Amino acid sequence: MSASSTVGGKTLDVVKNLPRITLANLRPNPGARQNAKRRGRGMHGGNRSGRGHKGERQRGNRPRLGFEGGQTPFYLIIPKYGYNEGHSRRPQYPPLSLRRLQYLIDVGRVDPSQPIDLTQLVNSRGITIQPLKRDYGVHLVDEGADIFCAKVNLEVQLASEAAIAAVERNGGVITTSYYDPRSLQILIKPVPFFMTGQPLPKRMFPGEDLLLYYTDANNRGYLADLEKIEAARKALAFKYGYTLPNISLETACKMLAERKDPRQIFFGLAPGWVVNMAEKKILKPTDKDLLEYYNS
Amino acid sequence: MAASLLGRRTATLVGLSSLKSFLPIISQSCILQQTASYNPKPLRLNLKDPYIPDRNSEKTPEWQKTDKYDRKLFGRYGYASGVDPVKLWPTPAQLQEVIAEEKEWYPPLEEILQNIAVKQQEKAAKQLAREKLIAANMAKMPKMILDWKKEKQETKRKAKEEKAKKERLLVLARERFGHAVDPRSHKFQEMVAEIEKEEKKRRKLLKRQKRQEEQGLTALSPNRAG
Repeated sequence: MSASSTVGGKTLDVVKNLPRITLANLRPNPGARQNAKRRGRGMHGGNRSGRGHKGERQRGNRPRLGFEGGQTPFYLIIPKYGYNEGHSRRPQYPPLSLRRLQYLIDVGRVDPSQPIDLTQLVNSRGITIQPLKRDYGVHLVDEGADIFCAKVNLEVQLASEAAIAAVERNGGVITTSYYDPRSLQILIKPVPFFMTGQPLPKRMFPGEDLLLYYTDANNRGYLADLEKIEAARKALAFKYGYTLPNISLETACKMLAERKDPRQIFFGLAPGWVVNMAEKKILKPTDKDLLEYYNS
Repeated sequence: MAASLLGRRTATLVGLSSLKSFLPIISQSCILQQTASYNPKPLRLNLKDPYIPDRNSEKTPEWQKTDKYDRKLFGRYGYASGVDPVKLWPTPAQLQEVIAEEKEWYPPLEEILQNIAVKQQEKAAKQLAREKLIAANMAKMPKMILDWKKEKQETKRKAKEEKAKKERLLVLARERFGHAVDPRSHKFQEMVAEIEKEEKKRRKLLKRQKRQEEQGLTALSPNRAG
């Protein structure tokens, strides 16, 4: 037995004297790797290597799946119908559940003392938005509505009714707003856009298919009347049976009241402004025509 | 640089338990505890020795002489790039183009709303027309069903009569010839024709009799009166 007086005995001494673990002295566990079987060697070298006799089976050039030897295959017999028409062009809205949002807030990845929009959510790696994959933003879903307890000023692109109720029950504010693909790209990745030295564009209005959603106060659309939204908040509180906390009495009132202009992409930045990262400066246009264009 | 600019908000306040943040804690300074800070990508700007292409040199590729590239240079190096900031915005001509394009592709909000209203009206009108048509047709339905039932009964009755007649004729034929006759045979057909002729005659006679009776009545009545 070892005469070592330490608790771990000899093992600890050995471990202490071993070199640091690096890629150079790591190797797979014994038995973790197995060499691929080499077909056609040894005793049965001249045989078929277990692939049967002749034909497509032996040569491994089988026809495509579903091919029925020249007969019209079954998958082509059934006529197409328009259930999936235009599926490759449909706008996509990745879901964000309230549970996930609560988690992001709890671990401190999202700061609820500031208005939360897509930039915050993407920067916290809470969601991934790919405008080139026809993502138009994020859809707030009501999973975890019962555990959601943060007071936030939230801006999403779609929201379910229960999710709206859960946010407002805690005294928060929620807005659904539309970003055209270009503005969306800028919103989720601001720095690469600022590095191009281009002025911030105007945020475009939604088209005919989405305009009604964003003018509806029940969806808390950003184009809806504020009075109607207030009425809708009360109606929703009545429907779900909670009392609306009075926001105007809160200390965070100013943060909760913050709201983007329909043409604005970022809080505090107007269309037409250039943000220079190198100089840490904001350049604003002074030309009358330019101002007229960007303010229209 | 930008990292510090963006990272300023991510100040960590150590001391508060992260578990307690389940309920939003707003401290005196209104800063919420944030444990995970945003770690932005470094900008990697070579500000000490910026590459600024010579516009007049022939060796400079064409794409480095464009306005877009100038804007990029300004975005990267600021005033050190030597680019006039006026170039960052579209020129009046370009602006006109942009405005024209926007006019073509982005109608004003009121116009879109109007279009939507018109479309909805059309849809509602179409729906209403269809509902009306269905209601009108459904109103006709009970009568149509009655008619159909009547017709069905009629055809049934006719078929029954035809069958009875045929059987009667067959019985008649057997009585007349003493044996069963094929209804397709010449004999039978002749017999049928004969019977029909007789019947016709009888009917004619009946008619005549009736007329005579009537005439007799009409002839009698004036006599009586006279």
